[in-house]
Amino acid sequence: MTAYNSTMILAILPEILLLVLGVLVLLFDVVWKGEKRRALGWLTAGGTALISIVTLLIGRPGEPQSVFGGMLRFDWLGFAFKQIFLLGAIATALFMMDIEKLSRRGQAYALLLTATLGMSLMASAADLVMLYLAIETTSIPLYVLAGFLLDDDRSAEAGFKYLLFGAMTSAVLLYGFSLLYGFTGTTSLTSFVGSLPLALGLVFLIVVGLGFKISAVPFHFWAPDTYEGSPTPVAGFLSTASKAAGFAVLLRLFLTAFPQFVEQWAAVLAVLATVTMTVGNLLALAQKNIKRLLAYSSIAHAGYILIGVVAASKLGVASVIFYLIAYLLTNLAAFGIAAAFGRAAGSDEIASYAGLSRRSPGLAFAMLVAFLSLAGMPPFGGFIAKVLVFTAAVETGWVWLAVVGVVNSIIGLYYYLTVLKVVYLYRMEGENEEQYPIPLTRPYALALTTLSIAILVIGVLFAPWFDSASLAALNLF
Amino acid sequence: MLLEYIAIGVLLFLATAVAAIAIFLGELFGPKRKSDKKAQPYESGMLPIGPGTRRMPVRFYLIAVLFILFDIEIVFFLPWAVVFRQLGLFGLIEMIIFIGILLVGYIYAWKKGALEWE
Amino acid sequence: MIPLSWYLVLSALLFSIGLFGVLARRNAVAILLGIELMLNAVNINLASFWRYGNPAQMGGQVFAIVVFAVAAAEVAVGLALIISIYRRRKTVLAEEIDLMKW
Repeated sequence: MTAYNSTMILAILPEILLLVLGVLVLLFDVVWKGEKRRALGWLTAGGTALISIVTLLIGRPGEPQSVFGGMLRFDWLGFAFKQIFLLGAIATALFMMDIEKLSRRGQAYALLLTATLGMSLMASAADLVMLYLAIETTSIPLYVLAGFLLDDDRSAEAGFKYLLFGAMTSAVLLYGFSLLYGFTGTTSLTSFVGSLPLALGLVFLIVVGLGFKISAVPFHFWAPDTYEGSPTPVAGFLSTASKAAGFAVLLRLFLTAFPQFVEQWAAVLAVLATVTMTVGNLLALAQKNIKRLLAYSSIAHAGYILIGVVAASKLGVASVIFYLIAYLLTNLAAFGIAAAFGRAAGSDEIASYAGLSRRSPGLAFAMLVAFLSLAGMPPFGGFIAKVLVFTAAVETGWVWLAVVGVVNSIIGLYYYLTVLKVVYLYRMEGENEEQYPIPLTRPYALALTTLSIAILVIGVLFAPWFDSASLAALNLF
Repeated sequence: MLLEYIAIGVLLFLATAVAAIAIFLGELFGPKRKSDKKAQPYESGMLPIGPGTRRMPVRFYLIAVLFILFDIEIVFFLPWAVVFRQLGLFGLIEMIIFIGILLVGYIYAWKKGALEWE
Repeated sequence: MIPLSWYLVLSALLFSIGLFGVLARRNAVAILLGIELMLNAVNINLASFWRYGNPAQMGGQVFAIVVFAVAAAEVAVGLALIISIYRRRKTVLAEEIDLMKW
C-alpha cells in the first residue's frame, strides 16, 4: 500500500500550511506575553496571505483527479473556493486585531484558521465521510468563535444558539448521508441509484443541513441573533466564508450525486430561493441594528446565489462562484466597517451612524462602496454578480425566478439607501461632528482600503475573474 | 430463525438463576444484625459527608470535557493498529503527525492552566 | 437473520425521538441529549448498511467512528458553552436565554 505521491501533498497544500500556521499561532500564544500578542493577528493575516500566494504559485491543479483513495478531488472548483476562503480569513484576522478581548488571545486566531481549514476540505471533499468531517471541522470552531466573549451575555447566547441549530441540522444532514451511503453502497460521491421519491427525500434531508450553513429560509433563525451577538469580525466571517463553503458543497453534492433528478431538486431550490430572498429582504426593512440588517441582507443574498444553483448549468455554477467572490469582498467590508464603527462609537444602532460622513469621510466612503455593491449598483462587483446570476436563470428557462430576483433587488435597494441616507444626510444633533472622529487603526485601514478597491476592480474588470470562475465551473460537467 | 438465539437465552436464564439462588440462600440462612452504620451507603470505607446529590464544582466538568476530547482519539488508534504492518512507514509517519497535533493541544491546555485544580 | 428493515425502523424511531427531544425540551442539556440520540440513530444506520451491504468495504464502519469522534467534540463545546452561560445567568432553560429577538 504505497498510497503516497507528490500530487497528494499538492492537493492539500493549503490545508497542511493552515495547520502549521495554526500550531505556530498556538505556540507563540504560550510564549509571547502581554502587548506582544497583538502581533498574533499580523502573524495570522500575513501567514494566510503567504499560503494563498504559495498555493497560487505551486499548488495549481491540472486535470481534475481524485486523491487519497477518492476522499478529495483536486480540481479548479476546489481551488477557486479555497482562495475565496483564504481571502476571507485574511480580512477577518485583520478585523479581529483591534477587538478588545479577542485580539490578544491566540485561540481566536487558531480557531479561525481551523475553520478555514475545514472549509478548504469542504470545497474539495468527494466522499461522504470526508464531507461530514470537513463540515464539522468548520462548524465547531465557529460555534466557539461566535460565543467567544464569555463575559458578554449576548456573545455566549449567540454561540449557544448557533451550536444548537448547527448540531441539529448537521444531524439531519448526516442522517441523509447515512441513507445515501446505504442506497449507493459506497461513501464516495457517485451518482445516486434509486427511485425519485427516495431521491427527493434525501434531497430534503441534505437541504436542511446545507440550508443552515448558507442561512436559507426557513433555516435562517439562528442568523440574526448569532450575527448580532457574536464579535463583529466573526459575524462577517460567518456570513461570507462559511456561506461560500455551504454553496461549494451544495454545488458538488447535487451535481455529482443527483444529476439525473436535476429538474426535481432545481424546483425545490427555486422555491427555497424565492422564499429566502423575499423573507430576507422584507425583514431587513424593519431593522434598527446594523448587524441585524446585514444578517437579513445576507439571508437575501443567499437567495440570489441559489438562483445560480437552480440554473445548474455551466454559466449557473460560474455565476455562483463569481457572486460569492463579489459578495465576500463586499460583505467583509460592510462588517469591517460595522466593527470599526462599533469599536469607536460603542453602538451598532443605525441611528448612531448619523453624521458619519463628517466624523470619518474615509469610513463613510467605504460604506458607500460596500452598500451600493450589496444593493447591486454599477460599477461595483455586486452589479455584475447579480446580472450573471439572472442571466444564468433566464438562459435555462427560469424566467419567473429571475423576475422575482429583480423585484427583490429593488426592495433591497431601499434599505441599503436608507442606511446611506443616515450616513451622508443626517447630522448629530447640536454637535460638531468633527470633534468625534472615528479613529481607524492600521489593520482596519489596510483591510478596508484593499476590500473597497477590490470591489471596484471586480466590478469594472470582471472578465478575468469570470473566466476563472468558468474554468472552475467546467469541472462539474 | 429464532432457534439460533436459544443458546443465549439458556445462558441468560442460567446466569440469572444462579445469582438469584445465591442471594436468596444468603438471605434465608445468613445471620442478620442491623445497625444505622450498616444502612449507610458505602463510600470506599470513608464516612459519608453530606448527601450524595449535592452540586459538583464546575471544575469536574472541565476535567471531564478535556478527558473526553483526548480519550476519543483512541478510536482512531485501534483500526490503525490492526493494519499497522500493511501501512508501513507512511502509516507510522501519519500517526506521529496526528499524535504531534494532539500533543500541541495538550501542551496548550496545560500551559494555559486548564489542568490546574485551583 | 434479522432483516435490514428492522434496523432501519429502529434507527428512524430513535432519530424521531431525538428530534422530538431537540424541538420540545426546554433544558439545554436535554436538547444536547436529543442531538446525541439523532447521531446514534445515524450510527445504527451506518453499521447495519455496512453489515448487510458489502462487509468487505469498511466505509460504513469508518464513517461511524468518525461520527462519534465528532459527536464528542460537539458535545464538549456545547457543554462548555452551557456551563459558561449557567455561571452568569443561573439557568439552563433554552427559553430563558433570549436577550435577542427579532
